[in-house]
Amino acid sequence: MSRFEIYSPEGLRVDGRRWNELRRFDCSINTHSHAADGSSYLEQGNNKIITLVKGPKEPSLRSQMDPTKALLKVSVNITKFSKTERSKTSHKNERRVLEIQTALTRTFNKNVMLHIYPRTLIDIEIHVLQQDGGLVGTLINGITLALIDAGIAMFDYISGVSVGLYDTTPLLEVNSLEENVMSSVTLGVVGKTEKLSLLLVEDKIPLDRLESVLAIGIAGAHRVRELMDSELRKRAEKRVANSTN
Amino acid sequence: MPLSIAEKSYLYDSLSSNAGTRPDGRLPHQFRPLEVYTDFLPSSNGSSRIIASDSSECIVSVKANVVDHQVQQDLFQVEVDIAGQRDDSSEVETLTSLLNRVLESRGSIDASKLKLTRKYSYKLFIDVLVISSSSHPVSLISFTIFSALNSTYLPKIISSFDDLEVEELPTFHDADMVKLDVSPPLVFILAVVGENVFMDAAANESEVADNGLIITWSGDKIVAPIRTVALNNSDVKGFNPLVLQRGIQMVQQYAGDVVRAFANL
Amino acid sequence: MSSIISIAKRKGAFQQSIDAGFESGSEDEDVNMSDSIDNGPTHTQESNSTEGHIVTPGELVTDDPVWMRGHGTYFLDNMTYSSVAGTVSRVNRLLSVVPLRSRYTPETGDHVVGRIAEVGNKRWRVDIGGKQHAVLMLGSVNLPGGILRRKSESDELQMRSFLKEGDLLNAEVQSLFQDGSASLHTRSLKYGKLRNGQFCQVPCSLIVRSKNHTHNLPGNVTVVLGVNGYIWLRKTSKMDMARDAPSGISAPGPSNGAPIGAKTLRSSDSVSITRLEEESSWQIYSDENDPTISVSLRQTISRYANVIKALAFCEIDITHERIVSAYEASMVYPSVGSLIDREVMETIGQDVLTAEKMRGTPS
Repeated sequence: MSRFEIYSPEGLRVDGRRWNELRRFDCSINTHSHAADGSSYLEQGNNKIITLVKGPKEPSLRSQMDPTKALLKVSVNITKFSKTERSKTSHKNERRVLEIQTALTRTFNKNVMLHIYPRTLIDIEIHVLQQDGGLVGTLINGITLALIDAGIAMFDYISGVSVGLYDTTPLLEVNSLEENVMSSVTLGVVGKTEKLSLLLVEDKIPLDRLESVLAIGIAGAHRVRELMDSELRKRAEKRVANSTN
Repeated sequence: MPLSIAEKSYLYDSLSSNAGTRPDGRLPHQFRPLEVYTDFLPSSNGSSRIIASDSSECIVSVKANVVDHQVQQDLFQVEVDIAGQRDDSSEVETLTSLLNRVLESRGSIDASKLKLTRKYSYKLFIDVLVISSSSHPVSLISFTIFSALNSTYLPKIISSFDDLEVEELPTFHDADMVKLDVSPPLVFILAVVGENVFMDAAANESEVADNGLIITWSGDKIVAPIRTVALNNSDVKGFNPLVLQRGIQMVQQYAGDVVRAFANL
Repeated sequence: MSSIISIAKRKGAFQQSIDAGFESGSEDEDVNMSDSIDNGPTHTQESNSTEGHIVTPGELVTDDPVWMRGHGTYFLDNMTYSSVAGTVSRVNRLLSVVPLRSRYTPETGDHVVGRIAEVGNKRWRVDIGGKQHAVLMLGSVNLPGGILRRKSESDELQMRSFLKEGDLLNAEVQSLFQDGSASLHTRSLKYGKLRNGQFCQVPCSLIVRSKNHTHNLPGNVTVVLGVNGYIWLRKTSKMDMARDAPSGISAPGPSNGAPIGAKTLRSSDSVSITRLEEESSWQIYSDENDPTISVSLRQTISRYANVIKALAFCEIDITHERIVSAYEASMVYPSVGSLIDREVMETIGQDVLTAEKMRGTPS
């Protein structure tokens, strides 16, 4: 008899969640007001990430400059202590990390109004202090929050979630245990729409199940957007109230 | 940090004068306020984060592994990551080797505190992440390592101590943890300007310093390593041994207060 | 209060909780499938957000096509959406959203303090803390040798003898380029290279645009409050003193016949030189400080720097009057170094605001 079941007959997952439950979502912005123009600290489940946005600013290398628009640069630093088992080697030049950076850059290139900030560089730096599955979705949320905190113009929120598929059941927001035993996808959803800015599929998914996976993913992303939005508004209201003195 | 010639000479004249006036009026041995956060990474045995008032920030994680100490001599391993710098840059490598030396040095940390059985001990992996720093980070890093080690909890061993004869791996209690009981060393960095020394040099003070001193403190006394360090990219100037003595005396006088300040929760 | 180091410690958390009633986010939210049906941007209940109303990116601000769309907005069809998180501003027919935070954005006429970042072809690039460096053209500075001195080719080659990388100066924004970056000029004696003091920096939102940004403070100190948040504190110079005292008082020599503003040479006072001579003197690009800056003056400057940082810490707008008020409030603490303490900074901020309320001065 197994000690735990990925998805029990009663519909409970290993951490007690149901198939359509998000993990705990806790975010704050402007956490590094002096070190960066925009910053956020996000805990999604056991993922803990710091996102810093420096810019728009003068690019350090003249060759990087684009006279028509801003340049977006994303660097993800996955620390060696982010998982329960400490990593032996650095993740800095790992292919997977480079691919994630590229995917994130492309996603936000479409969302940020780069043409408003010509000849500048927007430098996004993420530090992953702890991870427990669905990391790319969390990265998307951290970047969205930090960019908004920096006052950088964009079309809409992009909210990220992961969805796993256990046999025929879609599971919203997978943790690392679940990620290891089943296929999963990551979605980046634009605002309140059903449009996807990012769809990341690295495992095998049967096409006839894709729609149900996307449906719960989009719904989950909308809920994440609401959570981010309510935190931002709370902050904004507090700031406006303070500045009237 | 870039400063104009006029700024540098104003600062230098102030700092090197008999009065030793600092740009923020601090006393030579006075530190700027720090914020310390601990125990925020459940997946690590110990974690700590320090934010200085100039928004320099450092995060340290302590993770333990069980090793055979007859094979593995080093029970500490420090690795440093400075945001924005390559792992093979000279600054990172120098800091890493300095910090490893600080922790390894005799009289620094009692290795017997890590011993589990006759064969096995804990090995601590100390990972340092410097998010931002405006002056030489070694002191900030050492303070963060200090508070991380002071809030490290290790699983409690329940198997027997004597395992040389019996081929048995150590087993641990499922829930109980034991607080690591060590007194970690502290590394102080002092700026030398003329004949004066200053603790906790700000970025602008470091920029005009003639030289810098790294002085290690452990178990209520000064220990090795002690070395000079360049705090800026201008040429370092030599100083007379009296200055070194002054620096050592300053650390001897005030290091205890710093340790006590960390201990008071 | 002679503590060497003050440490604020918090266990079990990554950071301070932002406010008391901090909602820790929903625990394991149930997500309903029926939530998201719509295919396009959702219409908010009231499609016309009121003035000062907070909006976030992607939110509909108005569906009225009459408005001109300003910064912080974009439009699709006839709908205007916000592109930043900020407050709605309706001025005349211009609808814009002001972001809560952003870098310094230069406006023509701004008095800024900047640092030379690069020396280029007939121009300097100046860091003013904005999204891009500002440009200072060689033709926009006073060249030693008189106003009528023509720019020569050798000037282009020896630009570093005027201003080099790292030099700090104050200047005025002459104009803006198409992309919003600034072009500066220092064509006035009140602008130019800065010396005899120290630099400090505050968030640019705390500096209010006003007519005059250079103020003389008690204790023989002068402060230059750059609109971009860069601040310079220095020993009050003769020119600073003359600026405050109207010309009739500082030069009592000539009788009514002399034109206003002219300073005459007085043998008893080696200070007075003609403006023309000053403008052409090499002194304006000198890197040498006044050698007579005393220890007590340095301490006064440090005190001012600390109280300015205290005002910034309390997020109080920084004005000439408030700096003086904060300085006076700080005199309770004889040791300048004690002003870096968090609680002391909060106390000073409180004192300044209380003093203002009592005086009835509008904040």
